[in-house]
Amino acid sequence: MTTENKNIRNHQDGYEIDTLTNDRLIKGHDYDGIRELDNDLPSWWKWLFYLSIVFAIIYSVRLFVFKSPDLIQADEYNNEMADFKKNKSKINANQAASFEVKLLTGDASLTKGQDTWTKICAACHLADGGGLVGPNMTDNYWINGNTVQDLYNVVTNGVIQKGMLSYKDQLSNEKRLQVVSYILVKLHGTTPANPKAPQGKKYE
Amino acid sequence: MELEKFTYDNKLAKYFIYATITWGIIALLVGLTAAFELIFPSLNGGIPWFTFSRIRPVHTNGAIFAFVGNAIFTAVYYSTPRLLKTPMFSKTLGAIHFWGWQLIIVAAVFTLPLGYTQSKEYAELIWPIDIAVVVVWVIFGINFFGTILNRRIKHIYVSIWFYIATWVTVAVLYIVNNLQLPTSFLHSYPIYAGIQDALVQWWYGHNAVAFFLTTPFLGLMYYFIPKAANRPIYSYKLSIIHFWALIFIYIWAGPHHLLYSSLPDWVQALGIVFSIMLLAPSWGGMLNGLLTLRGAWDKVREDPTLKMFVVGVTAYGMATFEGPLLSLKTVNALSHFTDWTIAHVHIGTLGWNGMLTFGMIYWLTPRLFNTKLYSKALANTHFWLATLGMLFFSIPLYFAGFTQSLMWKQFTQEGYLAYPNFLETVTQIMPMYYLRAFGGSLYYTGVILFAVNIWKTVRVGKFVRYEEFSAPALEKVPVIEEKIAWGWHRKLEGNVAKFTIFALIAVLIGGLVEIVPMYLVKSNVETISAVKPYTPLELEGRDIYVREGCYLCHSQMIRPFRSEVERYGEYSKAGESVYDHPFQFGSKRTGPDLAREGVSSLPNYKPDSWHYNHMLDPQKMNAESIMPPYPWIINNNLDVSHTASKINVMIKLGVPYPKDYASKAVKDLNTQAHKIGENLRSAGIKVDDNKEIIALIAYLQRLGTDIYKDRELNNND
Ligand code: HEC
Ligand code: HEC
Repeated sequence: MTTENKNIRNHQDGYEIDTLTNDRLIKGHDYDGIRELDNDLPSWWKWLFYLSIVFAIIYSVRLFVFKSPDLIQADEYNNEMADFKKNKSKINANQAASFEVKLLTGDASLTKGQDTWTKICAACHLADGGGLVGPNMTDNYWINGNTVQDLYNVVTNGVIQKGMLSYKDQLSNEKRLQVVSYILVKLHGTTPANPKAPQGKKYE
Repeated sequence: MELEKFTYDNKLAKYFIYATITWGIIALLVGLTAAFELIFPSLNGGIPWFTFSRIRPVHTNGAIFAFVGNAIFTAVYYSTPRLLKTPMFSKTLGAIHFWGWQLIIVAAVFTLPLGYTQSKEYAELIWPIDIAVVVVWVIFGINFFGTILNRRIKHIYVSIWFYIATWVTVAVLYIVNNLQLPTSFLHSYPIYAGIQDALVQWWYGHNAVAFFLTTPFLGLMYYFIPKAANRPIYSYKLSIIHFWALIFIYIWAGPHHLLYSSLPDWVQALGIVFSIMLLAPSWGGMLNGLLTLRGAWDKVREDPTLKMFVVGVTAYGMATFEGPLLSLKTVNALSHFTDWTIAHVHIGTLGWNGMLTFGMIYWLTPRLFNTKLYSKALANTHFWLATLGMLFFSIPLYFAGFTQSLMWKQFTQEGYLAYPNFLETVTQIMPMYYLRAFGGSLYYTGVILFAVNIWKTVRVGKFVRYEEFSAPALEKVPVIEEKIAWGWHRKLEGNVAKFTIFALIAVLIGGLVEIVPMYLVKSNVETISAVKPYTPLELEGRDIYVREGCYLCHSQMIRPFRSEVERYGEYSKAGESVYDHPFQFGSKRTGPDLAREGVSSLPNYKPDSWHYNHMLDPQKMNAESIMPPYPWIINNNLDVSHTASKINVMIKLGVPYPKDYASKAVKDLNTQAHKIGENLRSAGIKVDDNKEIIALIAYLQRLGTDIYKDRELNNND
């Protein structure tokens, strides 16, 4: 079944021309009626290919011969960390200067505290503070003390053996204070849906 | 000149069309279901086999091997005899091929949701099915090459080149990636571990894309586009160059799936530079497809088949432009582990594979049934639904990937992670998941219209089983060859054995250069003395993790970025995964990385009781979590009947357990389980020591701890 193709005309030199494009067909290339044109590779395509090969060569030479630090993973990482450490000491100095562990009662601070609570702490203490893996925050029982400073210390250093994490590398001291204040001002004294049994000592 | 008469038998082409459509409907429906389960995590209703992580492999394997696979065979069984002027070599082999392949798919559809998996992406099928795949593939090969030997045309056409490369390479990839030692009839461990396993897997995975989703479809394109448009191929020379460049270069690109992992820099670099060089050869295929339509653009506007071909080939061009882009380290640092990758593959599969398949079947069915397509309007509607569906699917996911990645990396002014809670970055992109499901629904509606249209066409027409042809025998054909440049290649096209061997050599080089040194050169995987084999309980827990497909949502590969080290801990080292048969690096972070889940000094650490509650009901711990509940892990008893045989296989694979440890394994397992059980009970949880959850917790708490041991001692004093 060779498909009848009206678009082909024989040239006087013996080769055939595709009349729709005026391109030359290759004689003898006929597969179930499919013909092939003798077009050259588009030159922009060739350039694309050459350029990609040049890229590959430059990249390889930079990595294998010159060992460029921006291509070697461990160097990239060490540089990123070194940059950060330079800035970090500055940030720490600023923070330490103006910070004091004191109960916050402003609405803005408490809302931010609540935000941290639901996003991070609720996974163990539940959103309403009733407790699940971690203890109940609404009752008068505390394992590690009931002052702002006590709670702040727990959140900062964690009680790792018991499953409470240290948040000093994850939350700024400001945020830690906000969430602790949120516990003491807003959660404490409320009635959660499924309160966990009291743990620790009773504080009046 | 004496003519020989012969007949083409259209039966298998018809069967393969039916199979393509049937499996397409199923595989895409499973995909759509998975998309909805990501939005409504409890949609699984506590049913194990209906859970996201169990059905996702059904979707991926189904789309690739069932839908696209059967489309490939349709094209091969229809075009090969016509291109070679001879019937297929053997009807019996053809029938075995057809039914064997369908049986394999049925086996996959049952085993994967039941949790029988190797956990290597697109190579999840368990070892007995792997063997069946190889057998059927060999039968297909005999039938295909037998046909070539019987041909009545000296030189083979470019479609056949691509089919040959497909057959050879898939055989090599499949066998090498699936080398494994069975522990039982349904379970095995791969002979590779950790980063070496990952390299072999992604060499396979990437080239499954290359040699299952690309080369056979280029073969298909080279046959069906010129036939449907009745136009000559734009450039024979381009065919030659892009064919060889494509198959030689493709095979090297696998490591771009492991950028910034613990794979050595030099292998990553090879993956990068070869991916960049892949752009032009890929676009060569696109150009030859699109430029073949010169002079036929008026027809393209009219004809749904050609329209589909044009969008399909364009999608191929987009996907193969994006691929090299994603291989650049800077881009990959952003895109990897996010939905960007999902968007990328769907441009390829929905666009290139889907559209070409639809176009081919729209063109072929009326010819096989000697009638006209039932409804052109319906086909046009399908075209628009598919195109829009693709856009609604991928654009939101690009946005989601970009957004989430930036959130992972963002720091506050004080130097803390801006979004320390991973879940926040998930919640942020949920609207995009809704849009994706909407896009998927559009595309799927199109597929249903397509099936109806084909069904109606079949009903109206009458099947033409045999077509009679005649041609002179091969020896008798006078070769009228015009002398053109590149005659050397023309010679090669006449010598199929040589052609096949050259193709084999071309595809072997890249794999050998990358994989072999990873085994022979010690420095590629440094030894870490603190890293010890898993205890029997942890090993069983790991197998549960594999069975459930947790790796489909959780990575275990911390990349060397400050943002990841802050979030997850010290970045992953090659020496840490040397006992991981199979590796569990994962490729997508729908949930947080778990590589150091067990390290108690890190911010993600959770106590045993948390894991217990979380597996039972993730939404209780985080209302917005999209992790599915796994209540059966809480209820199931741990099966320890294969523990000893698992340890024995591990010993054979070189994992340094004491010599006859297998006999003591279960005793140790029970001791460790009792400890965890006690710990849970002390937290007020009623649980027996012999539950699966105990093993899973043991595994999770072990993750990443080895190299932290010294540090933890220091921290605790
Ligand atoms: C992985 C689970 C988990 C997460 C997440 C968690 N906690 Fe805890 N938390 C615990 C456990 C367990 C305890 C009990 C520690 C003990 O026994 O001393 C605890 C104890 C506490 C206490 C002390 C209670 C007492 O009675 O002394 C405070 C305060 C606290 N957590 C606050 C927080 C805050 C604020 C967050 C979020 C920033 C948070 N927790 C996140 C598990 C968790
Ligand atoms: C649909 C994707 C998905 C699947 C499948 C999935 N997870 Fe998750 N996983 C998540 C998401 C999202 C989170 C974060 C929210 C949360 O804590 O539930 C998560 C969190 C976790 C965490 C807590 C990590 C941390 O450090 O906070 C663990 C542990 C975990 N998953 C284990 C598993 C295991 C084990 C499996 C398989 C049985 C599994 N996951 C399957 C999505 C998934």
